[in-house]
Amino acid sequence: MTMGAMTAASAVREMPAHGRNTYDPAAVRADFPILSRTVYNRPLCFLDNGASAQKPQSVLDAIQHSYASEYANVHRGAHFLSGAATEAYEGVREKVAALLNAPEPETVVFTKSVTEAINLVACSWAEANLSAGDEIVITQMEHHANIVPWQLLRDRKGVVLKVARVEDDGRFDLERFAELLTGRTRLVSVTHVSNVLGTVVPVAEVTRLAKAAGACVLIDGAQGVVHQPVDVQAIGCDFYAFTGHKLYGPTGIGVLYGTAERLASMPPWQGGGDMIETVSFEKTVYAEPPLRFEAGTPPFVQAIGLGAAIDYVRALGMEAIGAHEHALCHHAMGALREIPGVRPIGEAPDKAAIVSFVVDGLHSMDVGAILDRQGVAVRVGHHCAQPLMARMGIESTVRASMALYNTTEEIDALAAGIRHAQKLLA
Amino acid sequence: MDLSAYEDYAETLEALDDEMRFEYLLDIAKKKRREPFPEEAMDEAHLMHGCMSRVWILHDIDEDRHYFRGHSDAAIVKGLVTMMTDSFSGLTTAELAQITLDHVRRLNLGALTTQRQVGMMAMLKHLQKLAGARPGFPSGPGAA
Ligand SMILES: Cc1ncc(COP(=O)(O)O)c(C=O)c1O
Repeated sequence: MTMGAMTAASAVREMPAHGRNTYDPAAVRADFPILSRTVYNRPLCFLDNGASAQKPQSVLDAIQHSYASEYANVHRGAHFLSGAATEAYEGVREKVAALLNAPEPETVVFTKSVTEAINLVACSWAEANLSAGDEIVITQMEHHANIVPWQLLRDRKGVVLKVARVEDDGRFDLERFAELLTGRTRLVSVTHVSNVLGTVVPVAEVTRLAKAAGACVLIDGAQGVVHQPVDVQAIGCDFYAFTGHKLYGPTGIGVLYGTAERLASMPPWQGGGDMIETVSFEKTVYAEPPLRFEAGTPPFVQAIGLGAAIDYVRALGMEAIGAHEHALCHHAMGALREIPGVRPIGEAPDKAAIVSFVVDGLHSMDVGAILDRQGVAVRVGHHCAQPLMARMGIESTVRASMALYNTTEEIDALAAGIRHAQKLLA
Repeated sequence: MDLSAYEDYAETLEALDDEMRFEYLLDIAKKKRREPFPEEAMDEAHLMHGCMSRVWILHDIDEDRHYFRGHSDAAIVKGLVTMMTDSFSGLTTAELAQITLDHVRRLNLGALTTQRQVGMMAMLKHLQKLAGARPGFPSGPGAA
């Protein structure tokens, strides 16, 4: 019995294969137990999915099942349960590969998060291949997770960090980006979707340009993988990283996809059990990828939870999810523009369902706190993207980030909450 | 030690319900004060780092007692920082060192959610650091 068959969610079971026209948010919502709770005696209106998304029952069931019925350490025991757990864990590699259209499960390395995946590339591939004067190109809209590891590398190796500009409206300008590429560019590391602006970076074109310049390409897919189908082979990137908890999976599990050639050429970055072939005090032979990069007992229960999350979104269809969220985003942008004194930050065409804004005369934190009292959960602050805030000339924004289970009614509650905050704080 | 201002705040908060606590906090922020926070002290030197909004704290010593004034660009945080600086002004270094997270927790009922509680803990540590009642920590990489 596979995890997927066992945990198929109700909304998914009842959904015809042609998804799009029949996408039913009410049925989807019923799969997420937390969405029926209240906060401050009001219905929960959860619009902070960019930070972390809620979990469907099938993910909770998969975790419960793993601990309750199939639990033993992976890759080790000579017994039934260890075999079952290992099979379930390794099965998730196949699910991730299918989600990303990766050529084979061995190109999928499990990490604890996208942050750890990026640090893995920095400490393994970049550490081994970059030297003083080599250049890394990132963008102004990176999350700190795709800035600080390169700054640490810069401090260790003397590499040069170059930053591609983001336009005033949040658009990513491919031509300006291309101007930064030189004969010394060794790595281009960019976000797929901005966690603040919602801007979708044309990662296939970015990769094409970077490759033409001889650079390696890493895509931070933390927000990319949740809002649209991703095909790493069509993109052509060397690495693609994402984090499970934003994709309706558990915390503590992330993914680094790497091409087989890259991964095979990379030294380990952490040592321990599971990542070796043989160990003696004289000589240790490392395991092949992906295990070479998974030292110690991996977060396999979390991985199994992620597997259930992937089953869930794939059953709904990433296209259908994207279409639903696009409609929500469009509705949200319209609703915000109608409120005097509200200024959206990030208006790139075809952006993903992440909406940041500021309210004239009000601090984002106050707006967030008052929305919170209305049951509307948003994130406020710099969103781990301080350089982007500086670029936009602001301190912080309020951010509503939408998920597959949000509704237009919730967007309307957000708009009403903003008007209420304006009244209360005037 | 004299914690009467602190007791006043704590008792008032305890008597209010969730919704009213929230408005009380906004009222504290809006209230005109005898000694308003000086405009020129809203600078880098007086900034308390690590907050979601900007928080400035001014520290004076008079006859071995510490006096604080605080300000923030966010109304709710201004209410919180005002409550904190009022509560813990007028103490000696030794007294200030005895203020614990439990004191802060009492100012922090219901409406003031966990996130803000963390912010208030950070404020207490900051006050203690300014007063030399707590050792400082080195900041992270990239810091000058
Ligand atoms: C674009 C982007 N990159 C990286 C991260 C970091 O994710 P995690 O904290 O799960 O590693 C996030 C989420 O906060 C993000 O939005």
